[in-house]
Amino acid sequence: MEAPDEIFEDEDEALEIPADPMRLNMGPSHPAMHGTIRMVLDLDGETVMNVDVQPGYLHRGFEKSCERGTWAQVFPYADRLNYVSPMLNNVGFSLAVEKLLGIEVPDRGQYYRVILGELARICDHFTSNGAGAMELGAFTPFLWLLKVRDWVWDILERETGARMTHSFGRIGGMAFPPTDGFADDVRAIIPEIHKVVGEAEGLLLKNRIFLDRMQGVGILSKERAVALGCSGPVLRSTGVAYDVRKDHPYMVYDRFDFEVPVGEDGDNWDRFMVRMEEIRQSIRIIEQALDQMPTDGPVSVTDSRIMLPEKREVYTTIEATIAHFKLVMEGLKCPKGAVYSFTEGGNGELGFYIVSDGSGTPYRVRVRPPCWYNLQAVREMLIGDMIADIIPTFGSINMIGGECDR
Amino acid sequence: MPTFKLNGQDIPFEPGDTIMRAAWRAGIEIPHYCWHPGLSVAANCRMCLVHITSGRQMAMPTLKWDEKKKAYVPDTKPKLTPACQQAAGEGMEVTSVGEEVENAQAHVQEFLLLNHPVDCPICDQAGECKLQDYYEEHQHTAKRKQTEPVHKPKGVTFGPTIVYDAERCIMCTRCIRVCDELVGDHVLDMRERGNKNEIVLAPGRELDHRYTLMTEHVCPVGALTSQDFRFKARVWFLKSVEGVCTGCSTGCNSHVDFDPRIGKVYRLRPRDNEDVNKFWMCDDGMMTYTEVHEGRLKTPVDGRGEGAERLLPEEAVDLVAAKLGAVDAKKLAIVLSAGMSNEDNWVLARFAEKLGAGRLYLAAREAEDVGWEGDDILRSSDPNPNRAGATLAAKSVELHDLEDLAQDVLAGEVSAVLALGHHGGEREGALDALGSLDTVVVLASNEGPLSAVASVQVPVASWAESFGSFVNGQGLFQTFTRAIPSPDGVETAWKTLVQVAAALGHDLGYVRTGEVRDELTQSATAEAAAEPTATA
Repeated sequence: MEAPDEIFEDEDEALEIPADPMRLNMGPSHPAMHGTIRMVLDLDGETVMNVDVQPGYLHRGFEKSCERGTWAQVFPYADRLNYVSPMLNNVGFSLAVEKLLGIEVPDRGQYYRVILGELARICDHFTSNGAGAMELGAFTPFLWLLKVRDWVWDILERETGARMTHSFGRIGGMAFPPTDGFADDVRAIIPEIHKVVGEAEGLLLKNRIFLDRMQGVGILSKERAVALGCSGPVLRSTGVAYDVRKDHPYMVYDRFDFEVPVGEDGDNWDRFMVRMEEIRQSIRIIEQALDQMPTDGPVSVTDSRIMLPEKREVYTTIEATIAHFKLVMEGLKCPKGAVYSFTEGGNGELGFYIVSDGSGTPYRVRVRPPCWYNLQAVREMLIGDMIADIIPTFGSINMIGGECDR
Repeated sequence: MPTFKLNGQDIPFEPGDTIMRAAWRAGIEIPHYCWHPGLSVAANCRMCLVHITSGRQMAMPTLKWDEKKKAYVPDTKPKLTPACQQAAGEGMEVTSVGEEVENAQAHVQEFLLLNHPVDCPICDQAGECKLQDYYEEHQHTAKRKQTEPVHKPKGVTFGPTIVYDAERCIMCTRCIRVCDELVGDHVLDMRERGNKNEIVLAPGRELDHRYTLMTEHVCPVGALTSQDFRFKARVWFLKSVEGVCTGCSTGCNSHVDFDPRIGKVYRLRPRDNEDVNKFWMCDDGMMTYTEVHEGRLKTPVDGRGEGAERLLPEEAVDLVAAKLGAVDAKKLAIVLSAGMSNEDNWVLARFAEKLGAGRLYLAAREAEDVGWEGDDILRSSDPNPNRAGATLAAKSVELHDLEDLAQDVLAGEVSAVLALGHHGGEREGALDALGSLDTVVVLASNEGPLSAVASVQVPVASWAESFGSFVNGQGLFQTFTRAIPSPDGVETAWKTLVQVAAALGHDLGYVRTGEVRDELTQSATAEAAAEPTATA
């Protein structure tokens, strides 16, 4: 079909760049927006004058769903908060309910939780930094980091049966004790992690393009980060050395020697480097935990009102049958009350505020997801930067839709 | 009222009350198996042991494990008392918590589970079993016994309604006491001792009196199960609403247990009401739930026998309106029902007033026709739940019985009938005369003698499908709650009547159940006020 002539009449004029501000919609159907965030941009040329960050596209009603089942049935939901480090969510939720119950998991279980959790944190940081580099065109570091992440996942799979959404935490302990080769497997992978972190850094840290895209871009000040409630690597990159593991030690974190890496400028580069350093610190924690962890003993409490009894007992004794029946059909009974319990998740302070009415079902489960607060800082990071800077900046806060929207 | 202290809290009691009964009245549970508020004290389960801390203390010698010496050493412990048997005394101080009492509870519980079979997955009591509840609350330790449990008879048929499992039984003797004390029939007893104990029937007898299901009702564990409910449903899937039994004019209060997922009623349980049924119901009453699903009318039918035609619900309303509009109101007989709710009867009676209908009749079951016998326990001699309510609905108009109706039809004084319910006319041939009339409209939830002679049958909601009320034989107004939804297109009788009236141009003015109920209770109150000697 032949086009009408009018279209070409003002051809010269049409090529002129409009001087007026432009409003541009980015996402949610944009690969860098994870399919879950919409940004309404006000642009002057290529400069971002204002941005309206709109979450909510992954809202599943997680908190409300928790009010329908038993306390134990929250675990699969918790897995799907930050699904890149589900073990940290599992343990975070367990700790909240255990605080309400006033119980403490045996030492071996605590070390087991720490090691699995730090492995999950390493995976989380691998994913964030790898994907961040890939979004700037550096595909090799991404594959490099994810190769080792897969090996870590192999360990997690051997322990829990699943690579990602493990649902492995239990109120009062873990679903199973460590497998026989657990410590050896973890020790074997540590040099690999060191090696690949070094290689990835070698590929990136002297790359002019990478440096230009990361340094001095997406700056967040220390004061604003604190004011906005940021936590985790986003907060630490601004120079605030706040880490729940250090400042409010839980489980056995006070028994380990490790550093809290901080940045100076709060830009993309600092966030990237803080995560890289945290991987090394997590390895330190894992090594110490492996040394200190008892090789014998229970990983969970043995109270049949809290932990399911062993299957063999359930099938052969009435006591265990009843305990199993009560826990499955009615759920464990938490005393009436409310607690707030918080841990260091992959992206910062992951808090659970839970309310119990004394029945077997949660009355309210409120999650304080670190991503939600970190996402609030994105607007201030982006204003004044170029449109292309949105990709590395948004990538560097590691927004996970699952926990942000819930 | 004198008081004693239970765990530091003042509990009032009446002279003669035991600690258990006073606590039960105050809504505080002391764990127990054998005690039941409606039965005598047996004090054999020992679960309710409490420590009376006031008064002279008695020390019992005992052995205690000494961790340092790695040996048992002599010790003493306080003597505990069964709360179900100990009379409360003014100023008495009792504790049902604390180490001593909790130890006793845990050990009693452990003994009860010593030989208990691993039956929860196949036991109908699971989910409402006291052994389960108390295990979680008071024992929660693993099994220590390593030997084979003692085996006893399982699945023993005690009678047409009850099956007994001796292995699950904890020998609380509640079933024996129900038979003895409620029914006065010593059909159950206990044989052997210790772990060979079992409940047995009297020689040559079956458990076949009129209150056999109460033995299952009082059984705190799964030893006695009902033949009817066995293996039908798991109790944690059931929901419950408050019902009133339709078996007779006593109007025993019940829990209607139904599965909300499929809209099916599975059983009734007695609901405690000191003024009506205490804690009990009779077997026939317990089984009245079956009529919710059996012999049910679901589709409107026009015509009789071969030529009968099924209708849509909205067609039925128009058809009934057309039929009623065509008859001479003076020759239209209105039949109220002693089996339907106050609301249904009230609206029908008001509709009759609007139509200017000639005579009012009452359809009621006669005891001899349906083989009903009353007794002096719960069963009244009148097998109709709402004769008093139907009479109330008619206000001061005299109600004739169905025999009169048949005679009036034969005499030509009645040429059309509008009847409610499936009760009444059970005697052979009692309603034959109605079979010759062109217009016999019956609004009923179930098949019955009236619907058998109907020229038009309109299904209506049963008691389990509607909010309603009955007035029982002693004049008590009792409401019941809807459990399950009606079949498609089926409304309550009173709503159907409001629609028929509207089609005939009469506005009865009722939209909600509450409006009907308010009006009828106000009318009853006014009547009672006008005639102080009459009972409502």
